[in-house]
Amino acid sequence: MSALLEVSDLCKSFGGVTAVAGVSFEVREREILGIIGPNGSGKSTLFNCVLGQLRPSAGEVRLEGKTTTGMRPCDLNRLGVSRTFQMLQVFPQLSVRDNLILAGQEHRGSMVTRLFGRSDAGLAEDAERMIEFFRLSHLAGQQAAELSYGQQKLLDVAMGFMAGPRLVLLDEPAGGVNPTMLGELRERLEAYHAERGATFVVIEHQMEFVMALCTRVLVLAEGRLIAEGTPAEIRRNQIVIDAYLGSATPPA
Amino acid sequence: MTRPGAVALAIACAAAVAAPFLLKSFGIYLLSLWAVLAVAAIGLNLTLGYAGQISLAQGAFVGIGAYCVALLVPAGVPYPVAFVSAGLLCFAIGWLLGYPALRVQHHYLAFITLAFTTLVFLVLRNEEWLTNGIYGINAIARPTLLGWSTGRPLQFYFFCLGALAVIALAIRWMLRSPWGRAFVALRENPIRALSLGVDTRRYTLIAFALGASLGGLSGALYAPLVQFIEPSSFGLGLSFNLLLMVIVGGSGFFFGPFVGALIAVLLPEWLRIAEGYYLMAYAAGVMALMAFCPSGVLGLIDRASKAIAARRGFGAPTLGIERPQP
Repeated sequence: MSALLEVSDLCKSFGGVTAVAGVSFEVREREILGIIGPNGSGKSTLFNCVLGQLRPSAGEVRLEGKTTTGMRPCDLNRLGVSRTFQMLQVFPQLSVRDNLILAGQEHRGSMVTRLFGRSDAGLAEDAERMIEFFRLSHLAGQQAAELSYGQQKLLDVAMGFMAGPRLVLLDEPAGGVNPTMLGELRERLEAYHAERGATFVVIEHQMEFVMALCTRVLVLAEGRLIAEGTPAEIRRNQIVIDAYLGSATPPA
Repeated sequence: MTRPGAVALAIACAAAVAAPFLLKSFGIYLLSLWAVLAVAAIGLNLTLGYAGQISLAQGAFVGIGAYCVALLVPAGVPYPVAFVSAGLLCFAIGWLLGYPALRVQHHYLAFITLAFTTLVFLVLRNEEWLTNGIYGINAIARPTLLGWSTGRPLQFYFFCLGALAVIALAIRWMLRSPWGRAFVALRENPIRALSLGVDTRRYTLIAFALGASLGGLSGALYAPLVQFIEPSSFGLGLSFNLLLMVIVGGSGFFFGPFVGALIAVLLPEWLRIAEGYYLMAYAAGVMALMAFCPSGVLGLIDRASKAIAARRGFGAPTLGIERPQP
């Protein structure tokens, strides 16, 4: 499998604090890669550097071999890289349908054609399909603010998929979601992955969720990569257990 | 639009057409001033209410538009050309004023735009070779359009009302396009909007430029309305007054600026029965409204209509039509 995304020697410091200290990895086409690690280990900062929200202090990011370091998030998004955030990020005053249309409209035409073209930018059907896919049909016309937390989380993920991205970076999709909704979220993510063959990178603390969803897992601690492997390998890795997972039985 | 909303709009339109026939010339002047300032307030509502960028510069753009017309028309430029030029000039200056908004927000941006208003005032006052300084420009003619003279108060009112209607429809159409959705996204969550491919830089600049251009068009109507302009009309007072109109009417509501401008122009006059205290009564009224209803008059109506719908047992509109799936 070829690498869709390559990150090499990425560093990010804030003043004297180094959040990411030389991380290198690659994301292969069609895989679901998990990134785990304790709070403050640099996972979200890494995401923000890859996605252009933050400018890395050093290092390089390449998408299909082309350097994208320092590119603006909106330009990266139009290249087919999408994301969700750790905190809920829907547009509360817009309806569920409008949230989804917004998530796709900037990929259609130019500024001028968007001004003079159709109000829904020709995305009404796509939005309807996405609403059905995430089982939000009964909520389509409601303002996002009126949805429950779990429903907003589904909408948030659906928005990330709206433009048909090839690479989606999900930052703690399971955070604050109840067990029933969590099962549904995982099932929908797997279904989308199978249907569209998209590539996912998932940051998550919910171990069961990561281990079930991901095909490969990276472990970060203090801004460095400390382990890499399949979920089963990561579970057995002594360094990871010491740094993050902890052991089930206290050491003798 | 809901049924009661459409009825209210129809009544308001009929009232706007009928009212001047019941009024003397000062009343017609006040209505014309309402129409003119509503154009500027619609522009500020676009920048602030939809795109979420604070601006205390709208009064300065009204001034730039007014001086543009007052200087170009005597130089032989036809009024329609001067009118469009005022809009274009303010669009360009508004675009440039948008650049600071790419760096800072909120009160920092407020101070940048406030300083801009002061700068424009000083240019209008000090550059006498161009603007005639504190003596202002008088005897500004009202235009004759396609053989129709707007010289008399009633005719000029209908000219202003027609301009307001055309501009309002154009803005309504723009807000219903994907641009309107992008502006709301910019206001509600610029970081998320950026991650969804929305070029927030460009939309911020457009929001500033379009808002400013409406300020310029308002000024281009203001100059022939009052027929005498001088720099102090376009100082901070006007910018604050326009901000008041947007907020009191209901920031981010399409009809907010119409209601806000009506209140800001007419209420002080109605309160004249309080004689020497009328402006004090007006100020106290504004304080009370802002303290109890920060979302403005239309926000109040919106809340009330939702509460009535809930009491009657209708939930949000969609729930009445589509049943939740099992």
